[in-house]
Amino acid sequence: MKQYLVISGTVAALTLSLLVRSHAQQQVRSVPVGRTPVIADNLVNGPVPRLADGKPDLTGPWLGGGSDGDMERDGGLKPGELTSLLLPAARALRAKREKAIYEEPYIYCLPMSVPRVNPYPWKFAMSYTSKGLTQIYVLHETGDAGAHRVVYMDGRKHPVDPIPTWWGHSIGRWEGDTLVIDTIGYNDRFWFDAVGTPHTEQLHTIERWTRVNYGTLVNEFTLDDPGAFSKPVQLKFTARLVRADIDLMEYICAENNQIGIAGGYLPNPTTPSPKK
Amino acid sequence: MRTKLGMLAAGLGLFCLAAPVVAHHGFDTEYDSNKKISLTGVVSKVEWTNPHMHVYIDVTDARGNMTTYNMELTSPNSVQRQGWGRSSLLPGEKVIFEGYGGKVVETRGALAKIAKVETPDKPLFVQGGPEAQ
Repeated sequence: MKQYLVISGTVAALTLSLLVRSHAQQQVRSVPVGRTPVIADNLVNGPVPRLADGKPDLTGPWLGGGSDGDMERDGGLKPGELTSLLLPAARALRAKREKAIYEEPYIYCLPMSVPRVNPYPWKFAMSYTSKGLTQIYVLHETGDAGAHRVVYMDGRKHPVDPIPTWWGHSIGRWEGDTLVIDTIGYNDRFWFDAVGTPHTEQLHTIERWTRVNYGTLVNEFTLDDPGAFSKPVQLKFTARLVRADIDLMEYICAENNQIGIAGGYLPNPTTPSPKK
Repeated sequence: MRTKLGMLAAGLGLFCLAAPVVAHHGFDTEYDSNKKISLTGVVSKVEWTNPHMHVYIDVTDARGNMTTYNMELTSPNSVQRQGWGRSSLLPGEKVIFEGYGGKVVETRGALAKIAKVETPDKPLFVQGGPEAQ
C-alpha cells in the first residue's frame, strides 16, 4: 500500500510538473509550487457550509483564486488574449518589466494586491458586530507588508477622490450566494503577476466570489482599466480549500529577504568593499 | 524517442529540484540552472526566517580552503507544514547537498537537495516530510 501511495504520488507530481512546465514555457520562475496542503479530492464535492445568517461560509483558508506567475494564463485566457488588449504605453511598460523582473515590488516584500495570490493560504475573516456583517478582512499569509485588506459591507459608497493605495478602497455586497467586491483607488505600483502585467490608477476591479462546493471557491474577476487596457477583461480563477488543520502562520517577509544578492542586483554583504 | 524521454526526465528533474525556491520570487531572477552544485560540508547555521529559509554550509576543499555556501529554501511555514522542525537539522551536522549557484554570487545558491551523510537517502526539508521517509 505504501509503495502504491509513493508511486501514485510520484506520478501525480510528475504529471503536475509536466503541466506546469508546459504552461511555463520552459521557465522555472513562475510556478506556484508552495507546499500548502489542500483537502483531498474526495472531499471537494461536499455541500457548502453556511453561517448563522444563512450565507455561505467563505472563510477558508484557501489556496489560489488569483493571478501569480502570468495573469493571462492563470485567468484562463488564450495566449496573447490579454496582451492584445494592452494600450501602447502599458505594452511598453510590460516589455520593460519583462527585462527587469528583479524590479517586481512583491519580491521586496511589498503587497501583491488584487487579484494576485501566491502558493500560501489566505482567508476571508468576517467581522460581525451588533450591526451585522460590517467588514470582511482579507488576510494573506504573504500579503506581504500591510497584509490585511478591508472590504466594507456596511453599505457605504466609494470616496469620490480616494488617495491611491496598494489595496484600494473596497465595498462588498451579497448577490444571492455570491460575494461581490468592488474596488477602486488602487495605486499603480504593484504588478498583476511575475511577468509585469501593468495597470494604472484608473483600475477598477469587481470580484465575484462563489463557493461552488465544499472545496472550491470561484473568483469571476472583472478588470476594468481604461488607462492600460482597450476594454474590460473577464478572467476566472479558482481556489481550493486548505486542509482543515492548516491555518495562516506568521510571515514577516522583511526579516531576512536576501533577494537580489545572488543575482548581483544588490551588493553582496559578505564581499569586502574595495579600498579607496 | 529515448533521447527525448531522457531530456524530458532531465528537465523534470531540474524543475523538481529548482521548484522549492520559487514561491516568493523567481528561480531565474537569482540562480543559474547551469551552475550545478553537488558538495559535502558541515552545517554552520540554519535560518528559520522569512521570506525564505537559508542553510549555511562550510565546505572544505582538498587543499584545506573553506568556503561557506548560503543555500536558499522556501518559506519556514512551507517546511513546517511538511512536518520538519527546528531539530531536523542542526549546526555541526555533516551533510551532502545539491543545488544551483547564484547568477553572480555562486556561493549563494538555491538548495535542491540536502541530507545528512549517514542517511543520504533521506532528504530533509525539500521533498515530502519526515513521515514520507
